[in-house]
Amino acid sequence: MSAFGPLVRVTLRGLMGRRRLLLMVLLVALPVALALLVRLAGGGRNDASPILDNLIVRTVLPLVALVLGTAALGSEIDDGTIVHLLVKPIARHWIIIATAVVAAGLTALLVVPSVVLTGLLVSGTGSTSLHTTFAFAVAVLLGGTAYTTAFLALSTVTSRALVIGLVYTLIWEGVLSGLLEGTKFLSIRQATLGVAAALGGARPGLQPLEPAISFVILIVVTAGALLIATRQLARFEVRGGD
Amino acid sequence: MTEPVAPAWATATPAVADGPPPIVPALQLDHVSRWYGNVVAVNDVSFALGPGVTGLLGPNGAGKSTLLHLMSGLLRPSAGTVMVRGRTAWRDPAIYRDIGLVPEKEAVHPYLTGYEFALLNAQLQGVADPKAAARKAIETVDLVDAADRPTATYSKGMRQRAKLAGALVHEPTVLLLDEPFNGMDPRQRLHMMDLLRAMAAAGRTILFSSHILEEVERLADSILVVHDGRLAAAGDYRSIRRLMTDRPHTFRVRSTDDRRLAAALIADPAVFGAELLDGRLSVSTSDYAAFTHALPRLAAAAGITLHEVAPTNDSLESVFSYLVRR
Repeated sequence: MSAFGPLVRVTLRGLMGRRRLLLMVLLVALPVALALLVRLAGGGRNDASPILDNLIVRTVLPLVALVLGTAALGSEIDDGTIVHLLVKPIARHWIIIATAVVAAGLTALLVVPSVVLTGLLVSGTGSTSLHTTFAFAVAVLLGGTAYTTAFLALSTVTSRALVIGLVYTLIWEGVLSGLLEGTKFLSIRQATLGVAAALGGARPGLQPLEPAISFVILIVVTAGALLIATRQLARFEVRGGD
Repeated sequence: MTEPVAPAWATATPAVADGPPPIVPALQLDHVSRWYGNVVAVNDVSFALGPGVTGLLGPNGAGKSTLLHLMSGLLRPSAGTVMVRGRTAWRDPAIYRDIGLVPEKEAVHPYLTGYEFALLNAQLQGVADPKAAARKAIETVDLVDAADRPTATYSKGMRQRAKLAGALVHEPTVLLLDEPFNGMDPRQRLHMMDLLRAMAAAGRTILFSSHILEEVERLADSILVVHDGRLAAAGDYRSIRRLMTDRPHTFRVRSTDDRRLAAALIADPAVFGAELLDGRLSVSTSDYAAFTHALPRLAAAAGITLHEVAPTNDSLESVFSYLVRR
């Protein structure tokens, strides 16, 4: 597929806008900076999982994935440049896969180092600490991919993807999934924590989802989102004009 | 005139079974409609286009862009079929090997330079040597000097040319242009017109929309007139004008003896008016063909030499005004 490389490059150029990138870097640097302050204040602890969950899995990860996932294709749809990609003899799934690879890759590139640095700063380099940090890094990689592709698909369905994604993250995942047991199965965050727990990064006091269910949820969300986005793009119709 | 006029080639006799293969029109719309809820944007439009430049004319909101979007596979027809070189336009990315589209909206990736934009299009089209194709397209649209500047710094006319370069990189056989002259200065317009004429002469099918009649008159071999979503007329506008039998043709005539010629003409049944105004003879007729046959015969019979015979209301503007106001 000779168009895959150019699709990846143009998506990357589109997402690497100076302001957006700066905002994302500041966001992922926040947990690291807080961990550094904790470390300098002598407040290091054995278990980094509560901090990694609260600061990164709950906040930074969905926000970064939301911004990058909705902008990857959504900004092209909004400004009309998507037409230049669509009037090419390219199967629509390649456009979606290339866009998802870039958005998910950038999300991982930004958030995984943040997990690693935060984990190391908070709990040091003991074997248990390293194990927990590694577990969260892998979980964030998988969870970030699921979040990003879900938000990418959302941007092909509605022009209000950013707002809806924010509501999902803050209201559904932030409030409801903690109160109502059944909603856990519809939470990417819960599945991410389930993966972390399965790899040895269980957060004390929390009842994570079963490892198999967590993996299945993330795979189903990612694959389903790619399918929905491809279907939406294949049926895409331009707006406006006379 | 109630029925649109079909281009002559489209109504050619079909080839016999053992003869040459039938001609597949580059673009063919068959009873195409498109509606949004209760609003009908395009209403039962049928036509076929072959090589040459065709102007798509219509007032604002007539349905020009909707038609172009339907032809470029970016809109699903609510009814009817749109074919590009024999393939259904909707949901078939393979048609884009044949199509080059210049959309009306100015949007071009602002972070790419003009050359990078052309290169991206060449790469996505899968052309054999994308760099060479991009350079050639940039040269063709006369954008070499600004090729390395981000398109965000371009003027409207430059962005139009960048989009055209992007649409030309794969040398499409069908070119669809939505208001392509918007924002161009007179020199750029002339350059673009020359370019499109040359492409049409090379056998390409070019359809461009415009609401500027002068552009269409200068460039198009034939026209499609849309009004309120319907196809009001199609074909050469002079032929369309001749079919408007309910609207008299007027001619300005200069001869060796205008007064005697007027007297001779007024006796002819094809002529229903002749007047001398400020020393000029103006003749009205309802039958274009009969008049143009009768005039030289009558002049010769009266021993009068004709110096000039010029239609005065056969302009595209008068045809267009008639079609959209009736």
